Amino acid sequence: MIDARNLSKTVVTAQGNLNILNSVNLSIRAGDTVAIVGASGSGKTTLLSLLAGLDQPSAGAVFLDGECLTVMNEDGRALVRSRYVGFVFQSFHLLPNLTALENVMLPLELLARTDAKAEASNLLSRVGLHDRLTHYPNQLSGGEQQRVAVARAFATMPRVLFADEPTGNLDSGTGEQIIELLFEINREKRTTLVLVTHDDALASRCERIVHLKAGSIVNPDQFNDSIY
Amino acid sequence: MTQFIRLAIRLLVRDWRSGELNVLIMALVIAAAGTAMTGLFSDRLNRTMVTQAAAFLAADMVVTSHALLPEQWLEKARALRLDSARSTEFSSVLVHGEGILLTGVKVVTDAYPLRGRMKTMLSPATDEQETSEIPLPGTAWVEQRVLTALDLAVGDAIEIGAKLLRITRILTYEPDRRGNLLGLTPRVTMNHEDLPAARVIQPGSHVHYYFLFAGDERDMREFKTWLQGRLVPGQRIMDVYEDRPELGTAFNRAEKYLGLGSVVVVMIAGVAIAMAARRYSRRHFDMTAILRCLGVRQNRVLGLYGCQLFVLGLSASVVGCFIGWLSQEILVWYLRNLLPEHLVKPGIFAYTLAILEGLVILLGFTVAPLLQQRRVSPLRVLRRDLVPAPLNRSLVYGAGFLTISGLVWWNTGDSRLVLYFLVAASGVILALGGLVYFLLQATRSFWPYLGLNSRFGIQQLSRNAASNLSQILAFSLTFTAMIVIFLVRTDLIRSWQAQLPENAPNHFALNIFPSEWQSMRTWLESEKIEVSAFYPVIRGRLIRINGDDAGRNAPAASQAESTLHRDLNLTYTAVLPADNRIKEGRWWTYGESGQVSVEQSLAESLGVNVGDTMTFSIGSREIVVTVGSIRSVQWDTMNPNFFIMFSPGTLDGLPSTYLTSFYLPEDKRFVLNHMVKKYPSVSVLEVGLIIKQIQTILGQVTVAVEFVLVFALFAGIVVLFAAVYSDIDERIFNSCILRTLGAGRRIIRRNQCVEFVSLGLIAGVLGAVSAEMLLWLLYERIFDLPVQINWKVGLVTPLAGALLIGLFGLWVTRRTVTQSPLILIREN
Repeated sequence: MIDARNLSKTVVTAQGNLNILNSVNLSIRAGDTVAIVGASGSGKTTLLSLLAGLDQPSAGAVFLDGECLTVMNEDGRALVRSRYVGFVFQSFHLLPNLTALENVMLPLELLARTDAKAEASNLLSRVGLHDRLTHYPNQLSGGEQQRVAVARAFATMPRVLFADEPTGNLDSGTGEQIIELLFEINREKRTTLVLVTHDDALASRCERIVHLKAGSIVNPDQFNDSIY
Repeated sequence: MTQFIRLAIRLLVRDWRSGELNVLIMALVIAAAGTAMTGLFSDRLNRTMVTQAAAFLAADMVVTSHALLPEQWLEKARALRLDSARSTEFSSVLVHGEGILLTGVKVVTDAYPLRGRMKTMLSPATDEQETSEIPLPGTAWVEQRVLTALDLAVGDAIEIGAKLLRITRILTYEPDRRGNLLGLTPRVTMNHEDLPAARVIQPGSHVHYYFLFAGDERDMREFKTWLQGRLVPGQRIMDVYEDRPELGTAFNRAEKYLGLGSVVVVMIAGVAIAMAARRYSRRHFDMTAILRCLGVRQNRVLGLYGCQLFVLGLSASVVGCFIGWLSQEILVWYLRNLLPEHLVKPGIFAYTLAILEGLVILLGFTVAPLLQQRRVSPLRVLRRDLVPAPLNRSLVYGAGFLTISGLVWWNTGDSRLVLYFLVAASGVILALGGLVYFLLQATRSFWPYLGLNSRFGIQQLSRNAASNLSQILAFSLTFTAMIVIFLVRTDLIRSWQAQLPENAPNHFALNIFPSEWQSMRTWLESEKIEVSAFYPVIRGRLIRINGDDAGRNAPAASQAESTLHRDLNLTYTAVLPADNRIKEGRWWTYGESGQVSVEQSLAESLGVNVGDTMTFSIGSREIVVTVGSIRSVQWDTMNPNFFIMFSPGTLDGLPSTYLTSFYLPEDKRFVLNHMVKKYPSVSVLEVGLIIKQIQTILGQVTVAVEFVLVFALFAGIVVLFAAVYSDIDERIFNSCILRTLGAGRRIIRRNQCVEFVSLGLIAGVLGAVSAEMLLWLLYERIFDLPVQINWKVGLVTPLAGALLIGLFGLWVTRRTVTQSPLILIREN
């Protein structure tokens, strides 16, 4: 499903070039659940952004469902994202001017879906927010906002879901509930899940854990024994 | 596509519901209301002034001719469904008993006047009344002066040529009475049907024919264009701008001012929109990043915002237009005693224009912030600190300049004004902007020496120098515009009042013999009458320029052509009259004979320059003179003025009479009777009515001018609001962080005070300096007013800026010390 080959990312700083990722090779099969873990500054978020086509690598290539993202322009990558990809972010990224329902409707409306409202309403009920449809993000708790974000991420039935520290801004109890929800819907929809986390409990629920250290994978092809 | 537009509108409605669009909507609505109100009011006032001016012509357009017009021309007018009338004017000597009087006779057809009304009295004891009638055949209406001079009364008969006419009314007002010799002599009006019987028009008679036309504006334009190619020497088209220079000057200046006023309102409103759009754009970076992340292409994102802004602009312009219409209706009602009784309704074009202007302003000032959305990276969803690279400043300012230049040109049609605007604005932004940027950076060296009460405020200013610079430029541009509009208005009104002071001459005395003029002056002065200079008048014709036939290059229907076909009033003087200004060359010195000074517009029309020679035919002599200077003449002072003046000694030995003007207060009218007896050859002409007409128009123009100022002020307040709000999120956030770190209310408020006051002070200095620059250009090149540096502006503007922005800034940021920092941070 996702294939990263010799992926490198270098940024120019006042002190010279800084290598964030060094020749990363990674293959993720359809339906896999993968956790990318590592210390702060190890390059986790950068790797996620490259895999999702949000950024361009300095070298190497990313293939998503056989399509090479690195040769595409930004609009080409946007098209791929709209077809295959969903996101859940640490800081939720709900649009503050839209209600919970409208936030979930948005990706459906962009696909010109006529059933956007009904579908969004179903999804919000699925994440337990049927009584919060008309609430604005600043009227919702952190956990509720992340539920809305999860509902929005699954709205377009993406084949890959990328999650960046989905529990990073939540207390452990709420975080646990969100993880439960995320994996539950993931199973239902048979989505490939790639998530970045510091949370060992969350990582341990994934089939596969990728450890990053100073921009390189330290455990290539290591699978999570606790699952198998 | 429909779905896409629906989505854009839905997102817009959601933004609007959440209050996100409030500042932008307010700026847009007020911009549109301001421009609509100014535009609609100007349109009404202009069209009313033109209608009134048409009444001064008694028609929309008049063709003057020394002969009857071809029947084909009148047929063309009929084909265009134009109304037409004719007046024929000539001078005639009336004799009654022992009295002899030279009068100006006007013969009119039934439809006369097509615009305006005559006024008459049935007897000296009755009130003046407007009338749409003309004298019946066999009757005449005459001025009171005719009755007094010839000892006549209403009901008596007078003889015009071979026709005996009975006087039935006293004529008190003719709308199209002209300032020439015929117009100034005592007047008689009679019916066209009596003309053949009078037998006054013989081959070679000195007769002026006036063919009057009125009708739909478009048809009039078509007719005028059609006529222009067919005019022959001696024929001329007159309209409000060409016919009466004393009104034309006031019109031209007033139109320029109203145009400038509209542009100033647009400019200030544009600044407000630009600031509001910048904030709107910044607050949508996250939305754009999410949309990009959800797979929306760059151009589609732009299209989405573009569609939203168009809908927003159109709605705001329509609402603004309505508010503008309502406001000007209220204003018209409020000023009902000052404005003309019948103010025409605004034209549909004015409404369309107001809405279109709203959209153009929106486009010009939002295109740059909108384009920045293209640069928002989808990666911002992971790294919120990723702010899109700022746009090229030349694009930001270029779009604004282009919009304003276009609107200046559209509103004034004056490409010079556009050029001056561009020069002044670029000068301010480049020179002063650079200086401010440098100063803001330089304050960094003071940071270590500043206390807690002011350090954060100053740091905030210099740390965001680029962003604060645009805010300072917005404020200073607004100050500049407001100072300019205020001072131009004050000086224009002052100059109008100076042109026609209370004691402007209201009588002309003509035909004064050379032997009498000195004794007459002494006598008038002994009667305590203010009298202008006495000028000799010699009649002559211009025949050659630089040895060639003077008419060779004169275009048909031009001022030059009309000058060459009539006797000119020539004079000589050693002293340049106070209301004349030398534009080229120099005024002669004592003993420099053989020189001539020509009025500017005539010189242009004749193609005459300093150093050229002109040959005049005076009596049996030919006089060759050299052009020593070109002069501008202020015609509306009611002092004697001349197109052509000679240096003393040049016209020696030629027969002349003298001319002067004087102011006669109402309570000294008896002096006139004494004068007529003491100097029987002198013709005295009253011009009080003309002065009254000019004063009425100037009064209306003044009201309009002051009205524009109010709107500029209103737009200025919106800029204040929008500009302070444009960066408010960051300011509130910083203050919240300071509060959470334990900073007290006093420290925060003092720092905010230092920041806003400094901002206002700098903007005030910039605004004052650039206003002085712009005023210099405008006065010197456009309004032809004397230039002087206004020191008060230099002092008051920075202080007013500091106070205004300081107070407003503190008011807007008051929540930072009254609400929980946590709530504010969450909101932002």
